[in-house]
Amino acid sequence: MLEIFFLALQRSTLVTRLVKQGTGRVTLGIGDGANDVGMIQEADIGVGISGVEGMQAVMASDFSVSQFRFLERLLVVHGHWCYKRIAQMVCYFFYKNIAFGLTLFYFEAFTGFSGQSVYDDLYMILFNVVLTSMPVISLGVFEQDVSSDVCLEFPTLYQQGPRNLFFDWYRILGWMGNGLYSSIVIFVLNVIIFYDQAFRAEGQTTDMAILGTIMFTCIICAVNFQISLIMSHYTWIQHFLIWLSVLTWFLFLFVYGMISPTYSKNVFQILTEALAPAPVYWTATLLVTIACTLPYLAHISLQRCFQPMDHHIIQEIKYLKKDEKDKVMWKREKTKAREKTKFGFTARVDAYIRSLRGRLHKKTHSLKSKDGNPS
Amino acid sequence: MSSNAPSSSAGGVGSADSAAPRRNSKRPKYSKFTQQELPACKPILTPRWVISAFMLVSIVFIPIGVVSLFASRDVVEIIDRYETECVPENLRDNKVSFIQSDANKTCTRKLRVKKLMKQPIYVYYQLDNFYQNHRRYVKSRSDSQLKDNSSWNDVSSCKPEDMSNGQPIVPCGLIAWSLFNDTYNFSLNNQQLAVNKRGISWKSDRDSKFGNDVFPRNFQNGTLKGGKILDPTVPLSKQEDLIVWMRTAALPTFRKLYGKIERDLQPNETIHVTLENNYNTYSFNGKKKLVLSTTSWLGGKNDFLGIAYLTVGGLCFFLALSFTVVYLLKPRRLGDPSYLSWNRNPGGH
Repeated sequence: MLEIFFLALQRSTLVTRLVKQGTGRVTLGIGDGANDVGMIQEADIGVGISGVEGMQAVMASDFSVSQFRFLERLLVVHGHWCYKRIAQMVCYFFYKNIAFGLTLFYFEAFTGFSGQSVYDDLYMILFNVVLTSMPVISLGVFEQDVSSDVCLEFPTLYQQGPRNLFFDWYRILGWMGNGLYSSIVIFVLNVIIFYDQAFRAEGQTTDMAILGTIMFTCIICAVNFQISLIMSHYTWIQHFLIWLSVLTWFLFLFVYGMISPTYSKNVFQILTEALAPAPVYWTATLLVTIACTLPYLAHISLQRCFQPMDHHIIQEIKYLKKDEKDKVMWKREKTKAREKTKFGFTARVDAYIRSLRGRLHKKTHSLKSKDGNPS
Repeated sequence: MSSNAPSSSAGGVGSADSAAPRRNSKRPKYSKFTQQELPACKPILTPRWVISAFMLVSIVFIPIGVVSLFASRDVVEIIDRYETECVPENLRDNKVSFIQSDANKTCTRKLRVKKLMKQPIYVYYQLDNFYQNHRRYVKSRSDSQLKDNSSWNDVSSCKPEDMSNGQPIVPCGLIAWSLFNDTYNFSLNNQQLAVNKRGISWKSDRDSKFGNDVFPRNFQNGTLKGGKILDPTVPLSKQEDLIVWMRTAALPTFRKLYGKIERDLQPNETIHVTLENNYNTYSFNGKKKLVLSTTSWLGGKNDFLGIAYLTVGGLCFFLALSFTVVYLLKPRRLGDPSYLSWNRNPGGH
């Protein structure tokens, strides 16, 4: 019926559309020639193979590979990694912006809701650009929960993506809650520690620029420490970028304090003169950083203990080198981790019935010819 | 299907054809970075790490908390709230009109020293319910005017306190206009206690933000006087009360340094304070307090830092113990494959 009404569209395109609409699932279409372009575009994910039949399929596709066999790696390794990376990155982005933004709102309660910002404008501009962006970008680019060979050996790990274990509402709201908790801790602890008394041995009291700088330092340190707890795969790049982010904050504060007060206003020499020599600055930052990340640490420890996920177990097996010590167990788990494919089931059953019929037909034919009666 | 492509990346353009060795391969050059095989540290959160982390935090935090608490306990503070007491009893029904009138505003207070106070003793005035952090108040100043005499008429950001009688005000703005003007005179055993009013502001303010060629002009010349009158012969860099006041406070309850007393005060001494109750906090139900305080290496009197450190340290210690108990009671062998999801509920993961 479809062929009658949609003569211009090819069969593969129509089949893809039928599967999409009929099952409601995410479809992937792979092809290498110009005749596959329709199907590639129709599918949710189009994979084009470059090579013998030209580059048309590649130009129409979302992903391109050079050989059909690379499809397995594309899905099971890169698809798996990408899902986790993006899920963790988005959750962390929500967390850090909530932790930062809400402190501004809490402060408004103390300014008569007049809209006065406790932070200098440049702090807020640099927050998402330089001071907290680099580690999370390295998380999104380099993070691997298990290595690529383990991904290929345990294709079931890929199922964490379709089952949406890392970006469900529980996780999203959990991270937002963590951001809310961090913002409250950062704000309340700092306001009470620097309430009205002197904060230095020389008797000076806190003013708004000083409180803002202290709170911002706490946010930067807490948020960067938090991401170091999320990461499970540390290359030199992640290490470097986390330290760089924290150091950039202090360096920026120092340099900003050095330029003329016409531009730096109240931040002029704030680090060198007021904050760095004050022990309470450093002790308050340490306290707030640890207080913010403590619940998360307790949560993941409990989760690892009572409800470990598949990749946790596999990470432990690899860490303790149990895959080499107990090869039998490793091979057994690898086999169990592969599911027999269910697709094409009906087609295979039909083909089997046809082959049985064919054999039966041949047998009756040969029997009848033996009898000598042509039928 | 699986084992013949472990080392080639998906997405490589060109054929990695090794069957015909003479054909030039288009395979991209291998690099650890592009193949995501950089050497990496993959720490695992084992029970040992969990317990060690919590114990480390508690071992570091509890001593810091104890030290901070002792430092704060060492600080001696005398706080005297005087704004209601310094209004004569018969006029307490209408304090606003009292403060705005020309009546005698002198008031004497007695402060008793409870513990030995070592010099320098810092004298502060504390205001409550005064929103120096209100956006329009904070905006109402002209930094260029304060810094440099040549910008004396740059008063655009100072409204409503920018001009008076057609002339620009120096220093303009609400912050300067509302300068605190109560004064305190201390005497002990009928002897004057000197209060050093030098060096109470930040050095960077004195040197770089308030010019030594800027003199107050046309200040508090209008009908409504907001606060102190400045001496027009003293440059702004030496008007330390103004400099201290212009650093807007963060919270509605704040203290500002008034001066330093540079002698020890023995316990049970009584200090007589003669104060001029000039500043009008009555129109907004503000409070005024006089504070004498010593400092420690940590600053003024605030037990909260010490208590917070002790709380977090104690909590971590408790968590370390709980996790030890949990790991002893319900151990999970690391790397135990029976926890894999296809082993836990076979047939449907």
